[in-house]
Amino acid sequence: MNLTQPVLSARDLRRAYLVAGAPVEAVRGLSLDVHPGEWVAVVGPSGCGKSTLLNLLGAIDRPTSGQLLIRGRDVAVMDDAEATRFRLTGIGFVFQRFYLMPTLSAAENVELPMAEAKRPRAEREARAKELLTYVGLGARTDHRPFQLSGGEQQRVAVARALANRPALLLADEPTGELDARTGEEMIALFDRLNRDGTTIVTVTHDEELAQAARRVIHMRDGVIVDDQVRRPLESVARPA
Amino acid sequence: MRAWIRRWCALTGAVILTAPVLHVQGQGLRTIAIDERLGMAAGLAVGDSVRFAAMASAPSGQWVRIGAITRRSADPSEIARSEYRVRLHLDQLQSLTGVGDRIGRFAVRTQENAGAPGSASGTVAGPDSVSAAINAMAFGFRAYPAAEVAIETSATFRVVNRFHRAIGIITIVASAIFLLCITLLKVDERRREVGALRLLGLSRATVVRSVMLEASLIALLGSALGAGFGAAASAIVNWYYQGVYATPLRFALVTPEIVAIAVTLSLLLGIVSGYLAAQRLVRTAPLELVGR
Repeated sequence: MNLTQPVLSARDLRRAYLVAGAPVEAVRGLSLDVHPGEWVAVVGPSGCGKSTLLNLLGAIDRPTSGQLLIRGRDVAVMDDAEATRFRLTGIGFVFQRFYLMPTLSAAENVELPMAEAKRPRAEREARAKELLTYVGLGARTDHRPFQLSGGEQQRVAVARALANRPALLLADEPTGELDARTGEEMIALFDRLNRDGTTIVTVTHDEELAQAARRVIHMRDGVIVDDQVRRPLESVARPA
Repeated sequence: MRAWIRRWCALTGAVILTAPVLHVQGQGLRTIAIDERLGMAAGLAVGDSVRFAAMASAPSGQWVRIGAITRRSADPSEIARSEYRVRLHLDQLQSLTGVGDRIGRFAVRTQENAGAPGSASGTVAGPDSVSAAINAMAFGFRAYPAAEVAIETSATFRVVNRFHRAIGIITIVASAIFLLCITLLKVDERRREVGALRLLGLSRATVVRSVMLEASLIALLGSALGAGFGAAASAIVNWYYQGVYATPLRFALVTPEIVAIAVTLSLLLGIVSGYLAAQRLVRTAPLELVGR
Protein backbone atom coordinates (compact mmCIF):
# COMPACT_ATOMS: atom_id res chain seq x y z
CA MET A 1 0.00 0.00 0.00
CA ASN A 2 1.28 3.44 -0.94
CA LEU A 3 1.46 5.40 2.28
CA THR A 4 2.50 8.63 0.57
CA GLN A 5 -0.75 8.85 -1.39
CA PRO A 6 -3.45 10.15 1.00
CA VAL A 7 -6.87 8.50 1.06
CA LEU A 8 -8.36 11.90 1.69
CA SER A 9 -7.00 15.28 0.72
CA ALA A 10 -8.81 18.56 1.50
CA ARG A 11 -7.51 21.93 0.35
CA ASP A 12 -8.88 25.27 1.52
CA LEU A 13 -12.26 23.66 2.20
CA ARG A 14 -15.09 26.06 2.99
CA ARG A 15 -18.74 25.55 3.78
CA ALA A 16 -21.09 28.46 4.38
CA TYR A 17 -24.77 28.40 5.33
CA LEU A 18 -27.31 31.16 5.12
CA VAL A 19 -28.56 31.92 8.61
CA ALA A 20 -31.30 34.57 8.74
CA GLY A 21 -30.18 35.73 5.29
CA ALA A 22 -26.56 36.16 6.28
CA PRO A 23 -23.79 33.68 5.27
CA VAL A 24 -22.15 31.89 8.20
CA GLU A 25 -19.04 29.79 7.54
CA ALA A 26 -19.05 26.52 9.46
CA VAL A 27 -15.78 25.38 7.88
CA ARG A 28 -13.27 28.09 6.95
CA GLY A 29 -10.40 27.26 4.64
CA LEU A 30 -9.57 23.87 6.14
CA SER A 31 -6.79 21.73 4.68
CA LEU A 32 -6.19 18.15 5.70
CA ASP A 33 -4.56 14.92 4.49
CA VAL A 34 -5.50 11.49 5.83
CA HIS A 35 -3.26 8.60 4.86
CA PRO A 36 -4.15 4.92 4.65
CA GLY A 37 -4.15 3.24 8.02
CA GLU A 38 -4.61 6.42 10.01
CA TRP A 39 -7.17 6.87 12.75
CA VAL A 40 -8.03 10.53 13.10
CA ALA A 41 -10.23 11.86 15.89
CA VAL A 42 -11.72 15.30 15.28
CA VAL A 43 -12.59 17.01 18.55
CA GLY A 44 -13.75 20.45 19.54
CA PRO A 45 -16.59 22.30 21.21
CA SER A 46 -20.15 22.17 19.88
CA GLY A 47 -20.62 24.35 16.81
CA CYS A 48 -16.92 24.32 15.87
CA GLY A 49 -17.71 22.74 12.51
CA LYS A 50 -16.62 19.15 13.08
CA SER A 51 -19.94 17.60 12.02
CA THR A 52 -19.98 19.84 8.93
CA LEU A 53 -16.46 18.63 8.15
CA LEU A 54 -17.55 15.01 8.53
CA ASN A 55 -20.49 15.63 6.16
CA LEU A 56 -18.10 17.11 3.60
CA LEU A 57 -15.60 14.25 3.97
CA GLY A 58 -18.42 11.75 3.54
CA ALA A 59 -19.74 13.33 0.30
CA ILE A 60 -22.98 14.00 2.13
CA ASP A 61 -22.62 17.74 1.75
CA ARG A 62 -20.82 19.84 -0.84
CA PRO A 63 -18.19 22.43 0.00
CA THR A 64 -18.93 26.03 -0.91
CA SER A 65 -15.39 26.23 -2.24
CA GLY A 66 -12.11 24.33 -2.08
CA GLN A 67 -11.07 20.91 -3.24
CA LEU A 68 -11.79 17.54 -1.66
CA LEU A 69 -10.22 14.41 -3.12
CA ILE A 70 -11.09 10.98 -1.77
CA ARG A 71 -9.07 8.19 -3.33
CA GLY A 72 -8.11 10.72 -5.99
CA ARG A 73 -11.69 11.60 -6.95
CA ASP A 74 -12.99 15.13 -6.59
CA VAL A 75 -16.07 14.77 -4.42
CA ALA A 76 -17.04 18.44 -4.74
CA VAL A 77 -17.98 18.10 -8.42
CA MET A 78 -20.07 14.94 -8.07
CA ASP A 79 -23.81 15.17 -8.66
CA ASP A 80 -26.25 13.56 -6.22
CA ALA A 81 -26.36 10.18 -7.97
CA GLU A 82 -22.56 10.00 -8.27
CA ALA A 83 -22.07 11.03 -4.66
CA THR A 84 -24.62 8.42 -3.54
CA ARG A 85 -22.81 5.71 -5.49
CA PHE A 86 -19.48 6.91 -4.16
CA ARG A 87 -20.74 6.76 -0.57
CA LEU A 88 -21.98 3.23 -1.18
CA THR A 89 -18.68 1.77 -2.29
CA GLY A 90 -16.02 4.22 -1.11
CA ILE A 91 -17.05 5.33 2.37
CA GLY A 92 -18.38 3.55 5.44
CA PHE A 93 -20.54 5.40 7.94
CA VAL A 94 -21.15 4.74 11.61
CA PHE A 95 -23.73 7.02 13.19
CA GLN A 96 -24.30 7.97 16.79
CA ARG A 97 -27.71 6.37 16.54
CA PHE A 98 -27.31 3.03 14.89
CA TYR A 99 -30.07 3.36 12.28
CA LEU A 100 -30.47 -0.35 11.71
CA MET A 101 -33.54 -1.52 9.81
CA PRO A 102 -35.80 -2.89 12.53
CA THR A 103 -37.42 -5.51 10.30
CA LEU A 104 -34.13 -7.00 9.12
CA SER A 105 -31.81 -9.36 10.97
CA ALA A 106 -28.26 -8.36 11.85
CA ALA A 107 -26.92 -10.24 8.81
CA GLU A 108 -29.53 -8.70 6.49
CA ASN A 109 -28.65 -5.23 7.78
CA VAL A 110 -25.02 -5.89 6.94
CA GLU A 111 -25.97 -7.28 3.53
CA LEU A 112 -28.03 -4.21 2.64
CA PRO A 113 -25.21 -2.05 1.19
CA MET A 114 -23.84 -5.08 -0.65
CA ALA A 115 -27.24 -5.82 -2.15
CA GLU A 116 -27.42 -2.21 -3.34
CA ALA A 117 -23.95 -2.67 -4.86
CA LYS A 118 -25.32 -5.74 -6.70
CA ARG A 119 -23.00 -8.23 -5.03
CA PRO A 120 -24.00 -11.90 -5.52
CA ARG A 121 -26.07 -13.37 -2.72
CA ALA A 122 -23.49 -16.00 -1.73
CA GLU A 123 -20.78 -13.36 -1.50
CA ARG A 124 -23.06 -11.11 0.57
CA GLU A 125 -23.95 -13.85 3.02
CA ALA A 126 -20.34 -14.94 3.45
CA ARG A 127 -19.14 -11.35 3.89
CA ALA A 128 -21.90 -10.53 6.41
CA LYS A 129 -21.06 -13.61 8.46
CA GLU A 130 -17.34 -12.80 8.31
CA LEU A 131 -17.92 -9.20 9.44
CA LEU A 132 -20.36 -10.09 12.20
CA THR A 133 -17.89 -12.68 13.48
CA TYR A 134 -15.17 -10.02 13.34
CA VAL A 135 -17.19 -7.65 15.53
CA GLY A 136 -18.04 -10.47 17.94
CA LEU A 137 -21.60 -11.19 16.84
CA GLY A 138 -21.03 -14.42 14.89
CA ALA A 139 -23.64 -16.20 16.98
CA ARG A 140 -26.28 -13.49 16.60
CA THR A 141 -26.52 -13.08 12.86
CA ASP A 142 -30.24 -13.88 12.81
CA HIS A 143 -31.19 -11.56 15.65
CA ARG A 144 -33.18 -8.45 14.90
CA PRO A 145 -32.09 -5.06 16.25
CA PHE A 146 -34.62 -5.07 19.09
CA GLN A 147 -33.08 -8.34 20.31
CA LEU A 148 -29.65 -6.73 20.55
CA SER A 149 -28.20 -4.35 23.14
CA GLY A 150 -27.08 -0.84 22.18
CA GLY A 151 -23.45 -1.92 21.98
CA GLU A 152 -24.34 -4.91 19.83
CA GLN A 153 -26.42 -2.75 17.52
CA GLN A 154 -23.47 -0.40 17.11
CA ARG A 155 -21.27 -3.40 16.27
CA VAL A 156 -23.75 -4.41 13.57
CA ALA A 157 -23.61 -0.81 12.30
CA VAL A 158 -19.80 -1.04 12.13
CA ALA A 159 -20.05 -4.33 10.24
CA ARG A 160 -22.55 -2.73 7.84
CA ALA A 161 -20.20 0.23 7.29
CA LEU A 162 -17.41 -2.15 6.30
CA ALA A 163 -19.55 -4.30 4.01
CA ASN A 164 -18.39 -2.87 0.69
CA ARG A 165 -14.73 -2.63 1.78
CA PRO A 166 -14.62 1.19 1.89
CA ALA A 167 -11.37 3.13 1.70
CA LEU A 168 -12.46 5.28 4.61
CA LEU A 169 -14.60 4.69 7.70
CA LEU A 170 -16.31 7.81 9.06
CA ALA A 171 -17.85 7.69 12.52
CA ASP A 172 -19.97 10.41 14.06
CA GLU A 173 -19.95 10.14 17.85
CA PRO A 174 -19.90 6.31 17.71
CA THR A 175 -19.89 6.01 21.51
CA GLY A 176 -22.42 8.79 22.07
CA GLU A 177 -25.38 6.46 22.76
CA LEU A 178 -23.43 3.85 24.70
CA ASP A 179 -22.69 3.45 28.41
CA ALA A 180 -19.10 3.64 29.65
CA ARG A 181 -18.35 -0.09 29.51
CA THR A 182 -19.92 -0.60 26.08
CA GLY A 183 -18.17 2.56 24.90
CA GLU A 184 -14.84 1.03 25.90
CA GLU A 185 -15.68 -2.11 23.96
CA MET A 186 -16.48 0.04 20.93
CA ILE A 187 -13.15 1.89 21.28
CA ALA A 188 -11.39 -1.47 21.43
CA LEU A 189 -13.20 -2.53 18.27
CA PHE A 190 -12.17 0.65 16.46
CA ASP A 191 -8.60 0.12 17.65
CA ARG A 192 -8.61 -3.43 16.31
CA LEU A 193 -10.12 -2.27 13.02
CA ASN A 194 -7.41 0.36 12.66
CA ARG A 195 -4.64 -2.06 13.56
CA ASP A 196 -6.01 -4.36 10.88
CA GLY A 197 -5.64 -1.54 8.35
CA THR A 198 -8.92 0.38 8.28
CA THR A 199 -8.56 4.13 7.81
CA ILE A 200 -10.87 5.87 10.29
CA VAL A 201 -12.01 9.44 10.87
CA THR A 202 -14.18 9.96 13.94
CA VAL A 203 -15.88 13.05 15.23
CA THR A 204 -16.28 12.81 18.98
CA HIS A 205 -16.71 14.46 22.33
CA ASP A 206 -15.53 11.26 24.00
CA GLU A 207 -12.09 11.94 25.48
CA GLU A 208 -11.29 8.22 25.75
CA LEU A 209 -12.09 7.65 22.11
CA ALA A 210 -9.96 10.62 21.10
CA GLN A 211 -7.07 9.33 23.28
CA ALA A 212 -7.24 5.96 21.53
CA ALA A 213 -6.87 7.51 18.05
CA ARG A 214 -3.48 7.77 16.36
CA ARG A 215 -4.02 11.40 15.48
CA VAL A 216 -6.17 14.06 17.14
CA ILE A 217 -7.33 17.20 15.35
CA HIS A 218 -8.75 20.04 17.43
CA MET A 219 -11.16 22.38 15.70
CA ARG A 220 -12.48 25.77 16.71
CA ASP A 221 -14.62 28.20 14.73
CA GLY A 222 -14.35 26.17 11.53
CA VAL A 223 -10.59 25.82 11.45
CA ILE A 224 -8.00 23.32 12.72
CA VAL A 225 -6.24 24.78 15.73
CA ASP A 226 -4.21 21.71 16.68
CA ASP A 227 -3.16 18.53 14.86
CA GLN A 228 -1.30 15.95 16.98
CA VAL A 229 -0.01 12.56 15.92
CA ARG A 230 -0.09 10.43 19.09
CA ARG A 231 0.93 7.11 17.55
CA PRO A 232 2.72 7.08 14.21
CA LEU A 233 1.89 4.52 11.58
CA GLU A 234 4.25 1.61 12.17
CA SER A 235 2.74 -0.85 9.73
CA VAL A 236 -0.53 -1.22 7.98
CA ALA A 237 -2.22 -4.55 7.57
CA ARG A 238 -4.85 -5.50 5.04
CA PRO A 239 -8.16 -3.80 5.81
CA ALA A 240 -10.95 -5.97 7.23
CA MET B 1 -104.56 -33.47 19.35
CA ARG B 2 -103.54 -30.32 17.67
CA ALA B 3 -105.24 -27.04 18.18
CA TRP B 4 -107.11 -25.07 15.56
CA ILE B 5 -104.97 -22.52 13.86
CA ARG B 6 -106.43 -19.63 11.98
CA ARG B 7 -104.35 -17.85 9.43
CA TRP B 8 -105.23 -15.37 6.74
CA CYS B 9 -103.91 -16.77 3.56
CA ALA B 10 -103.46 -15.35 0.10
CA LEU B 11 -103.72 -17.64 -2.86
CA THR B 12 -101.69 -16.93 -5.96
CA GLY B 13 -103.06 -18.18 -9.24
CA ALA B 14 -106.54 -17.37 -10.40
CA VAL B 15 -107.74 -15.21 -7.52
CA ILE B 16 -106.58 -13.65 -4.29
CA LEU B 17 -108.67 -14.81 -1.36
CA THR B 18 -108.45 -15.58 2.30
CA ALA B 19 -109.24 -18.84 4.00
CA PRO B 20 -109.10 -20.25 7.53
CA VAL B 21 -106.83 -23.25 7.91
CA LEU B 22 -107.98 -26.08 10.16
CA HIS B 23 -105.35 -28.54 11.27
CA VAL B 24 -106.55 -32.13 11.83
CA GLN B 25 -105.37 -35.68 11.21
CA GLY B 26 -106.39 -37.36 7.94
CA GLN B 27 -105.40 -39.57 5.01
CA GLY B 28 -106.63 -40.20 1.39
CA LEU B 29 -107.47 -36.59 0.67
CA ARG B 30 -106.55 -34.33 -2.24
CA THR B 31 -103.26 -32.61 -1.79
CA ILE B 32 -102.24 -29.00 -1.71
CA ALA B 33 -98.84 -27.34 -1.48
CA ILE B 34 -98.17 -24.64 1.06
CA ASP B 35 -95.56 -21.98 1.38
CA GLU B 36 -92.62 -22.75 3.67
CA ARG B 37 -93.35 -19.52 5.52
CA LEU B 38 -96.94 -20.66 6.21
CA GLY B 39 -95.68 -24.07 7.26
CA MET B 40 -93.29 -22.52 9.78
CA ALA B 41 -95.85 -20.00 11.11
CA ALA B 42 -98.67 -22.53 11.49
CA GLY B 43 -96.53 -25.49 12.45
CA LEU B 44 -97.71 -27.49 9.45
CA ALA B 45 -95.80 -30.35 7.85
CA VAL B 46 -96.19 -32.63 4.83
CA GLY B 47 -98.92 -35.20 5.55
CA ASP B 48 -100.95 -32.94 7.83
CA SER B 49 -104.66 -32.52 6.96
CA VAL B 50 -106.40 -29.19 7.04
CA ARG B 51 -109.90 -27.91 6.31
CA PHE B 52 -109.82 -25.37 3.56
CA ALA B 53 -112.46 -22.70 2.86
CA ALA B 54 -112.70 -19.54 0.75
CA MET B 55 -113.90 -17.34 3.59
CA ALA B 56 -112.95 -17.35 7.25
CA SER B 57 -116.63 -17.27 8.18
CA ALA B 58 -117.58 -20.20 5.93
CA PRO B 59 -119.39 -22.93 7.92
CA SER B 60 -117.72 -25.76 6.00
CA GLY B 61 -114.77 -26.36 3.77
CA GLN B 62 -112.80 -29.06 1.99
CA TRP B 63 -110.49 -31.39 3.81
CA VAL B 64 -107.11 -31.52 2.08
CA ARG B 65 -103.73 -33.01 2.87
CA ILE B 66 -100.50 -31.07 2.64
CA GLY B 67 -98.57 -32.84 -0.10
CA ALA B 68 -95.64 -30.47 -0.41
CA ILE B 69 -94.05 -27.45 1.16
CA THR B 70 -92.67 -25.03 -1.41
CA ARG B 71 -89.82 -22.58 -0.99
CA ARG B 72 -90.09 -19.17 -2.60
CA SER B 73 -87.78 -18.39 -5.47
CA ALA B 74 -84.68 -16.25 -4.91
CA ASP B 75 -86.46 -13.13 -6.11
CA PRO B 76 -85.85 -9.84 -4.26
CA SER B 77 -89.41 -8.70 -5.06
CA GLU B 78 -90.74 -11.62 -3.00
CA ILE B 79 -89.05 -10.49 0.21
CA ALA B 80 -91.41 -7.66 1.10
CA ARG B 81 -94.54 -9.79 0.53
CA SER B 82 -95.81 -10.95 3.86
CA GLU B 83 -98.84 -12.97 2.67
CA TYR B 84 -98.91 -16.75 2.87
CA ARG B 85 -99.32 -18.84 -0.26
CA VAL B 86 -101.19 -22.06 -0.99
CA ARG B 87 -101.09 -23.96 -4.29
CA LEU B 88 -103.97 -26.22 -5.29
CA HIS B 89 -105.30 -27.91 -8.38
CA LEU B 90 -107.24 -25.61 -10.73
CA ASP B 91 -110.54 -27.48 -10.51
CA GLN B 92 -110.30 -27.51 -6.73
CA LEU B 93 -109.65 -23.78 -6.73
CA GLN B 94 -112.60 -23.21 -9.05
CA SER B 95 -114.93 -25.19 -6.86
CA LEU B 96 -113.62 -23.55 -3.71
CA THR B 97 -114.17 -20.03 -4.98
CA GLY B 98 -117.34 -20.76 -6.93
CA VAL B 99 -116.11 -18.53 -9.77
CA GLY B 100 -114.67 -21.04 -12.18
CA ASP B 101 -114.98 -18.83 -15.22
CA ARG B 102 -112.94 -15.99 -13.80
CA ILE B 103 -109.15 -15.80 -13.67
CA GLY B 104 -106.84 -12.96 -12.73
CA ARG B 105 -103.58 -14.14 -14.24
CA PHE B 106 -101.79 -17.30 -15.23
CA ALA B 107 -98.33 -18.26 -16.47
CA VAL B 108 -97.38 -20.18 -19.59
CA ARG B 109 -94.03 -21.92 -19.62
CA THR B 110 -92.46 -22.29 -23.04
CA GLN B 111 -90.02 -25.05 -23.85
CA GLU B 112 -86.39 -24.53 -22.99
CA ASN B 113 -84.36 -22.95 -25.83
CA ALA B 114 -87.60 -22.10 -27.58
CA GLY B 115 -87.11 -19.54 -30.29
CA ALA B 116 -83.35 -19.75 -29.98
CA PRO B 117 -81.39 -19.65 -33.22
CA GLY B 118 -80.75 -23.17 -34.40
CA SER B 119 -83.56 -24.71 -32.31
CA ALA B 120 -84.64 -28.17 -33.35
CA SER B 121 -87.68 -27.14 -35.34
CA GLY B 122 -89.55 -24.09 -36.35
CA THR B 123 -92.65 -25.33 -34.56
CA VAL B 124 -91.33 -24.30 -31.13
CA ALA B 125 -92.03 -20.64 -30.47
CA GLY B 126 -90.17 -18.30 -28.16
CA PRO B 127 -91.69 -16.26 -25.31
CA ASP B 128 -91.94 -13.12 -27.45
CA SER B 129 -93.78 -14.82 -30.28
CA VAL B 130 -96.04 -16.70 -27.85
CA SER B 131 -97.06 -13.49 -26.10
CA ALA B 132 -97.55 -11.77 -29.46
CA ALA B 133 -99.78 -14.64 -30.63
CA ILE B 134 -101.88 -14.54 -27.44
CA ASN B 135 -102.26 -10.77 -27.61
CA ALA B 136 -103.33 -11.03 -31.26
CA MET B 137 -106.06 -13.64 -30.68
CA ALA B 138 -107.37 -12.77 -27.22
CA PHE B 139 -109.42 -9.86 -26.05
CA GLY B 140 -109.58 -8.46 -22.55
CA PHE B 141 -106.17 -9.37 -21.27
CA ARG B 142 -102.57 -9.01 -22.21
CA ALA B 143 -99.58 -11.39 -22.18
CA TYR B 144 -96.12 -10.27 -21.20
CA PRO B 145 -92.83 -12.17 -21.59
CA ALA B 146 -91.35 -13.04 -18.19
CA ALA B 147 -88.21 -11.04 -18.96
CA GLU B 148 -90.28 -7.91 -19.53
CA VAL B 149 -92.11 -8.41 -16.24
CA ALA B 150 -88.78 -8.97 -14.48
CA ILE B 151 -87.36 -5.74 -15.89
CA GLU B 152 -90.44 -3.81 -14.80
CA THR B 153 -90.47 -5.24 -11.29
CA SER B 154 -86.71 -4.80 -10.82
CA ALA B 155 -86.72 -1.06 -11.52
CA THR B 156 -86.69 -0.36 -7.78
CA PHE B 157 -83.77 -2.67 -7.29
CA ARG B 158 -81.83 -0.93 -10.04
CA VAL B 159 -82.25 2.35 -8.15
CA VAL B 160 -81.16 0.64 -4.93
CA ASN B 161 -78.24 -0.88 -6.80
CA ARG B 162 -77.14 2.57 -8.03
CA PHE B 163 -77.47 3.89 -4.51
CA HIS B 164 -75.23 1.08 -3.22
CA ARG B 165 -72.74 1.79 -5.98
CA ALA B 166 -72.63 5.47 -4.99
CA ILE B 167 -72.02 4.49 -1.36
CA GLY B 168 -69.29 2.12 -2.54
CA ILE B 169 -67.55 4.83 -4.56
CA ILE B 170 -67.69 7.30 -1.67
CA THR B 171 -66.28 4.61 0.63
CA ILE B 172 -63.47 3.84 -1.79
CA VAL B 173 -62.54 7.53 -2.19
CA ALA B 174 -62.60 8.08 1.59
CA SER B 175 -60.58 4.88 2.13
CA ALA B 176 -58.05 5.96 -0.48
CA ILE B 177 -57.51 9.29 1.27
CA PHE B 178 -57.30 7.54 4.63
CA LEU B 179 -54.86 4.95 3.28
CA LEU B 180 -52.68 7.67 1.74
CA CYS B 181 -52.56 9.58 5.03
CA ILE B 182 -51.73 6.43 7.00
CA THR B 183 -49.01 5.44 4.52
CA LEU B 184 -47.51 8.94 4.64
CA LEU B 185 -47.51 8.86 8.43
CA LYS B 186 -46.07 5.36 8.67
CA VAL B 187 -43.36 6.09 6.12
CA ASP B 188 -42.59 9.38 7.83
CA GLU B 189 -41.96 7.46 11.05
CA ARG B 190 -39.02 5.84 9.28
CA ARG B 191 -37.49 9.02 7.97
CA ARG B 192 -34.37 8.59 10.13
CA GLU B 193 -33.75 5.03 8.96
CA VAL B 194 -34.37 6.02 5.35
CA GLY B 195 -32.10 9.05 5.77
CA ALA B 196 -29.37 6.80 7.16
CA LEU B 197 -29.78 4.40 4.24
CA ARG B 198 -29.46 7.30 1.81
CA LEU B 199 -26.30 8.40 3.64
CA LEU B 200 -24.98 4.84 3.37
CA GLY B 201 -25.39 5.06 -0.38
CA LEU B 202 -28.79 3.57 -1.15
CA SER B 203 -30.21 5.31 -4.19
CA ARG B 204 -33.51 7.17 -4.37
CA ALA B 205 -34.83 4.47 -6.71
CA THR B 206 -34.06 1.75 -4.17
CA VAL B 207 -35.88 3.65 -1.43
CA VAL B 208 -38.90 4.27 -3.68
CA ARG B 209 -38.96 0.61 -4.78
CA SER B 210 -38.72 -0.65 -1.20
CA VAL B 211 -41.49 1.59 0.11
CA MET B 212 -43.75 0.74 -2.84
CA LEU B 213 -43.09 -2.97 -2.45
CA GLU B 214 -43.91 -2.84 1.25
CA ALA B 215 -47.05 -0.77 0.65
CA SER B 216 -48.15 -3.22 -2.06
CA LEU B 217 -47.61 -6.23 0.16
CA ILE B 218 -49.55 -4.58 2.98
CA ALA B 219 -52.32 -3.73 0.50
CA LEU B 220 -52.43 -7.34 -0.72
CA LEU B 221 -52.52 -8.68 2.82
CA GLY B 222 -55.17 -6.12 3.75
CA SER B 223 -57.34 -6.98 0.78
CA ALA B 224 -57.02 -10.71 1.56
CA LEU B 225 -58.09 -10.06 5.15
CA GLY B 226 -60.86 -7.75 3.92
CA ALA B 227 -62.14 -10.38 1.48
CA GLY B 228 -62.11 -12.98 4.24
CA PHE B 229 -63.94 -10.65 6.60
CA GLY B 230 -66.42 -9.75 3.86
CA ALA B 231 -67.09 -13.42 3.10
CA ALA B 232 -67.66 -14.16 6.80
CA ALA B 233 -69.92 -11.12 7.25
CA SER B 234 -71.80 -12.03 4.08
CA ALA B 235 -72.35 -15.59 5.34
CA ILE B 236 -73.75 -14.26 8.64
CA VAL B 237 -76.05 -11.75 6.88
CA ASN B 238 -77.34 -14.42 4.51
CA TRP B 239 -77.86 -16.94 7.30
CA TYR B 240 -79.82 -14.42 9.38
CA TYR B 241 -82.06 -12.91 6.68
CA GLN B 242 -82.68 -16.19 4.87
CA GLY B 243 -84.03 -17.42 8.17
CA VAL B 244 -86.09 -14.28 8.79
CA TYR B 245 -87.69 -14.25 5.32
CA ALA B 246 -87.65 -18.02 4.69
CA THR B 247 -86.03 -17.51 1.32
CA PRO B 248 -83.01 -18.91 -0.47
CA LEU B 249 -82.23 -15.39 -1.67
CA ARG B 250 -78.62 -14.35 -1.01
CA PHE B 251 -78.67 -10.88 0.47
CA ALA B 252 -74.92 -10.30 0.41
CA LEU B 253 -72.54 -11.57 -2.25
CA VAL B 254 -68.76 -11.92 -2.29
CA THR B 255 -68.06 -13.22 -5.78
CA PRO B 256 -64.63 -13.89 -7.34
CA GLU B 257 -65.20 -10.80 -9.50
CA ILE B 258 -65.80 -8.64 -6.41
CA VAL B 259 -62.68 -10.07 -4.74
CA ALA B 260 -60.65 -9.45 -7.92
CA ILE B 261 -61.86 -5.84 -8.09
CA ALA B 262 -61.15 -5.31 -4.38
CA VAL B 263 -57.63 -6.77 -4.61
CA THR B 264 -56.84 -4.80 -7.77
CA LEU B 265 -58.13 -1.58 -6.29
CA SER B 266 -56.32 -2.16 -3.02
CA LEU B 267 -53.07 -2.97 -4.82
CA LEU B 268 -53.43 0.12 -6.98
CA LEU B 269 -54.06 2.29 -3.93
CA GLY B 270 -51.11 0.69 -2.14
CA ILE B 271 -48.78 1.34 -5.07
CA VAL B 272 -49.93 4.94 -5.51
CA SER B 273 -49.82 5.79 -1.80
CA GLY B 274 -46.43 4.04 -1.45
CA TYR B 275 -45.08 5.98 -4.42
CA LEU B 276 -46.30 9.33 -3.09
CA ALA B 277 -44.96 8.62 0.40
CA ALA B 278 -41.61 7.49 -0.99
CA GLN B 279 -41.34 10.53 -3.24
CA ARG B 280 -41.92 12.75 -0.24
CA LEU B 281 -39.02 11.04 1.52
CA VAL B 282 -36.47 10.98 -1.28
CA ARG B 283 -37.08 14.63 -2.14
CA THR B 284 -35.90 15.54 1.34
CA ALA B 285 -32.14 15.82 1.89
CA PRO B 286 -30.75 12.78 3.79
CA LEU B 287 -29.22 15.03 6.43
CA GLU B 288 -32.59 16.61 7.05
CA LEU B 289 -34.15 13.15 7.29
CA VAL B 290 -31.74 12.10 10.05
CA GLY B 291 -32.38 15.38 11.81
CA ARG B 292 -29.02 17.09 11.35
